[in-house]
Amino acid sequence: MTSGIPIAMRALLILGSVGTGAFILGRIRSSKVQIRDSIFWILFSALLLFLSIFPGAAIWAAEQLGVESPVNFVFLFIIFILLVQLFSCNLRISQLDAKVRALTQKIALDENERKEDKKENP
Amino acid sequence: MRLLVVIPAYNEQESLPAVMADLAATCPEYDVLVVNDGSTDGTAALCRERGYPLLDLPVNLGLAGAFQAGLRYAASHEYDAAVQFDADGQHLARYIQPLAAKLGEGYDIVIGSRFVGKKRPFTARMLGSRLITAVMRLTTGTKILDPTSGMRCLDRAMIQSFAQNLNWPPEPDTISYLLRCGARVCEVPVEIAERQAGTSYLTLYKSLVYMAQITISMLVIQWFRKNEWKKGGRL
Repeated sequence: MTSGIPIAMRALLILGSVGTGAFILGRIRSSKVQIRDSIFWILFSALLLFLSIFPGAAIWAAEQLGVESPVNFVFLFIIFILLVQLFSCNLRISQLDAKVRALTQKIALDENERKEDKKENP
Repeated sequence: MRLLVVIPAYNEQESLPAVMADLAATCPEYDVLVVNDGSTDGTAALCRERGYPLLDLPVNLGLAGAFQAGLRYAASHEYDAAVQFDADGQHLARYIQPLAAKLGEGYDIVIGSRFVGKKRPFTARMLGSRLITAVMRLTTGTKILDPTSGMRCLDRAMIQSFAQNLNWPPEPDTISYLLRCGARVCEVPVEIAERQAGTSYLTLYKSLVYMAQITISMLVIQWFRKNEWKKGGRL
């Protein structure tokens, strides 16, 4: 089979895919990550596996987009997916930050209220 | 049997009074707890004004987090059973007793099912429900006709586990996981009403993401999870 993706690259993709999958499943086993947060990585490792087994898909897509080498398409594609994930992570962190702020303020206000209550009716 | 009805509420000030009136009229013997999930409307104020038992979350956690907060309360107050109950008026109080009765027969989880002995309508959402039923049957061998039903009754040991564990949201994939762990789950027929006020927050995009999540969780992830459920494993 003549393939536009070197065999070493394909091996690397398989390794990366299996490694990612195994790592995230191990984290789920030990209750270190929520399942909804692991879905992205499961799909991502499935995609890497797909590209390494069927390099034809990358070759076809590279031709369509006018990318000279299929390997470059693989890079571009992965970078794009990771950017989207980074963006959604950023949104999550932003929301978490707001929640931590609200919680901290709430605790401080409640504490303050309790102390004032104590002063008023000891 | 001491039973707690947990009502997660996010911006439900319009429909909550009717729900609470239904509960008070139909089954005053059960305790009720409204979990206000960081609402931006007057849900919390309404509860205080009318004296509804309230757990007031200062930030929004989503349904799973709000329900879990209610279960933590149930666990620390040593309830024998807890029912998840919608604040939007879709669930009817008269079906709580049949759920509890079934639980008393030795089940761990009893689901209030809309489709026992009935055909599911052919809508997009019901297509999703069918898919989940099919996948669950494939991976567990058990047929649950209404896996997405939001009306569930848990026994004491389940309350403990749901309250503690990270990956036990009240969703179909948890039911599927628990079936594989050996839990006894069954369905009891219930009817539901049209929602009283407000709109469902399930948009098409969210529904698709939800479906993908649940299906992948049941088809792929489940095989790798540890059995964290042990009968009678009280903490």
